[in-house]
Amino acid sequence: MAGIIGYGVYIPKFRLEQKEAAIPWGSWSAGEKSVCGADEDVVTMAAEATDNAMKHAGIDPAQIGAIYFGTASSPYIEQYVSPILAEMLGLRPETTRIDYLGSVNGLANALLGCLDAIAAKRIKCGLVLGGEDRATAPGTEGDANFGAGAMAMVIGTTGTIADFEGMHTYSTLFLDRWRSVKDAWVSNLNDNRFDREYGYQKHVSEACKGLLEKLGRKAQDYTYAVFAQPDERIPTLPAKDLGIQKDRLAPGIASIVGDLGSCSSFISLARILDKAKADETILFGSYGSGASNAMSLVVRNQIEQKRKKLVPVEKYINRKQNITYTNYLRIKEHLKRGPY
Amino acid sequence: MSQPAPASPMFWRFNAEVFRLVGIKCKDCGHISYPRTKICHECGSQKIEEYKLPKRGTIHTFCVNWAPPPQFEPPILPVIVDLEGGGRYGGIMTECGSPDEIKIGTKVEMVFRKVLTERGLNVYGYKFRLAGEG
Amino acid sequence: MRGKVAVIGVGMIKFGELFDKSLENMIQEAYLNCLKNVEKGIDPKEIKAAWFGQWSGGFIGQGAQSGHSLTSMIGNREIPCTRLENACPTGGDTFRHACLGVASGMYDVVLALGAEKMRDKPSAESLGGAGGGGGAETGNHPAWMIGQGGPAIQAMHATRQMYELGYTMEDYARVAVKNHHNGTFCPYAHYQFEVTIERVLNSPVICWPLHLFDCCPQTDGAAAAIVCRADLAKKYTDKPVYVLGSNVGTDHHQLWDRDSFVEQQSTVKAARGAFEMAGIKPKDVDFAELHDCFTNTELMNIEDVGFVRKGEAARRLKDGEFDMHGKLPINPSGGLKAHGHPIAATGLGQIFEVVTQLREEADKRQVKLKNGIGLQQNVGGPAFGVAVVNILSRSP
Repeated sequence: MAGIIGYGVYIPKFRLEQKEAAIPWGSWSAGEKSVCGADEDVVTMAAEATDNAMKHAGIDPAQIGAIYFGTASSPYIEQYVSPILAEMLGLRPETTRIDYLGSVNGLANALLGCLDAIAAKRIKCGLVLGGEDRATAPGTEGDANFGAGAMAMVIGTTGTIADFEGMHTYSTLFLDRWRSVKDAWVSNLNDNRFDREYGYQKHVSEACKGLLEKLGRKAQDYTYAVFAQPDERIPTLPAKDLGIQKDRLAPGIASIVGDLGSCSSFISLARILDKAKADETILFGSYGSGASNAMSLVVRNQIEQKRKKLVPVEKYINRKQNITYTNYLRIKEHLKRGPY
Repeated sequence: MSQPAPASPMFWRFNAEVFRLVGIKCKDCGHISYPRTKICHECGSQKIEEYKLPKRGTIHTFCVNWAPPPQFEPPILPVIVDLEGGGRYGGIMTECGSPDEIKIGTKVEMVFRKVLTERGLNVYGYKFRLAGEG
Repeated sequence: MRGKVAVIGVGMIKFGELFDKSLENMIQEAYLNCLKNVEKGIDPKEIKAAWFGQWSGGFIGQGAQSGHSLTSMIGNREIPCTRLENACPTGGDTFRHACLGVASGMYDVVLALGAEKMRDKPSAESLGGAGGGGGAETGNHPAWMIGQGGPAIQAMHATRQMYELGYTMEDYARVAVKNHHNGTFCPYAHYQFEVTIERVLNSPVICWPLHLFDCCPQTDGAAAAIVCRADLAKKYTDKPVYVLGSNVGTDHHQLWDRDSFVEQQSTVKAARGAFEMAGIKPKDVDFAELHDCFTNTELMNIEDVGFVRKGEAARRLKDGEFDMHGKLPINPSGGLKAHGHPIAATGLGQIFEVVTQLREEADKRQVKLKNGIGLQQNVGGPAFGVAVVNILSRSP
């Protein structure tokens, strides 16, 4: 099966203390979240993540057969953003460009699309990108805890640092987050227990169980378990179902940079890969909009050699500058100047 | 009077320049021109080759603009940068909290950012950030 | 050019925020003042061609103006007229074309007039589009044009002048002090009040290192000149002023193609060519009206025209050399700093001053004349890549 040849991440510099966006509206949220600058969006974030990934992978853009972009924060309802990144790389018109939109499982689906194309031998190498900077409304849960970030992975079969051994998806009709074309923000019902247990927990656990059955493995066999992280405690729920010890779980990131949507499971994965050693194994589960993609990865030797070309997640986590809630409101355009 | 809109042919013609920083280098006098041109602006020669602008450089000069056009929050920091290996590029700084952070000679690098939005379309281009952040 | 062309009349209106005057009002007033200024009188029908300087066209809401706009407004539609635009040098270049019209032998008597209405829009809006940078209307991609209007570009020169030549913000402020002082003696200046160095340095920062008082104001104005064959001049006046040299210099139109940010090659070339045409050297010039759109620009212009070596201007300014009664008066009218910069009118307003000084009719701001030679210069456009220099003399 194919694997990751190289990867790169990006997290914006600006941070807001989550409580600043919660307390004025009578609620509470702990930790900090990353905030895009006024001149950033998923395209600009993905651009830097892509530069990092290309340097890490060490391949020529001409080798890329297709580019897949997954996000729930595209600036457009009609008009893909993958062509913008393709233009930046100078990809030929023969390269397919596809956006996977409308779900925070988008990046995981983009990866699935790429792997399917490689397995079908339609392409040899693909670029899988994701970014998140979801639209929010003041006073909503998301406005306090949605963060921003981007991820890029070069996927192929030669020179990989980690390979995918298997993939299993589990999806139902489950409405935990949504945004209609008429809304300028993402909504949820604030029925946290229902969403957490019947949404996230159920789908991640079932996807992983299905995968483990396919591969004839046990969850405890894995060195690491990386699950989507809308908050830092929720991964313990499927971990309990699967019998995974807490110390195997990827470290918390949601209270540092917020809920990174599509990118949350992948940036957590990157953080593990930044330090992982050859032959270690990773159980991975994404989640978004009633769907979870579970994957099994095994780390290869190449990872050590390529590490010097890597820009680690830690670098972006440590580069930070706090902003005020007023600044945040202006950047998100919740506060606007009078038209005239 | 109005500027061509983002979806117009002018924007499309400049794709290689704007997204990949493609300019030209004169084979006769070595001058680097950006955007691309068929006649060297410096010496008039037609012997030219494509040249991709490097993304790193040092600040040659700058100012602190407290009266920028309406869609920009003041202050903005326009810079002229001496690029590594030759050539210059003019742009503005981003993520630069205070004018005290830059002076002539400061090392900077280009980053891909959203310049403005018009008719619902985002216009992207390169701005400069202090080197070493990414 | 030398020996072929003479100025027989000049006219201008008081520059300012002329809210109750339209473009046409200003043009007619400047034109009539110019006719009256011809000492022995002139029949308007003797003017056989005209050049109309007008920079902004449709940009500041004046409606696009063409050559025939001028001939209609002056009530003489029997003559050819072309509208001319060459960025900030528009006025000086309109004068140059009028001189070329005569020097070519095609016409005996011609009119050059420049007018600009800047203040039908708030200052901040006309500042954004005008003033040497061209702003966003040059047609280049917005990613390359952000924040690069005239003030930002001159400010970038000012930063470099401080770094390479050791100039200070105080040096720049000193230019404003001198020019404001000179302006108090000129009835045509927009601003007629003194400033101190403190006032300049304490004014709001527009584009560091330039403050509000380092920048010329946004102003309305119009100015004109009537030019004729040198050998016919005495028919109209006993004090004709002769054109010795008239030249435009061009340089790069893209900021990042330029080599140095402490000199503007466009001015250097315009001046070099004009001096060559005139057959004289910078030291032969008694006084000059230079393009001080910003205070640091005046220092750069003094050096670029060739009056002093690069890096010397600030010290000599401090020593008083460029004061109205100094060794080489610069901007005895008060310059753009006191007059403002109604773009197409500016150069012709400077010609008005040079001619008035050479005729010794400058009243309280009269400079001492030795050789009877004065110089006018403008510079501007994208990357400040175009400049004009006219050299005039009271003897042919």
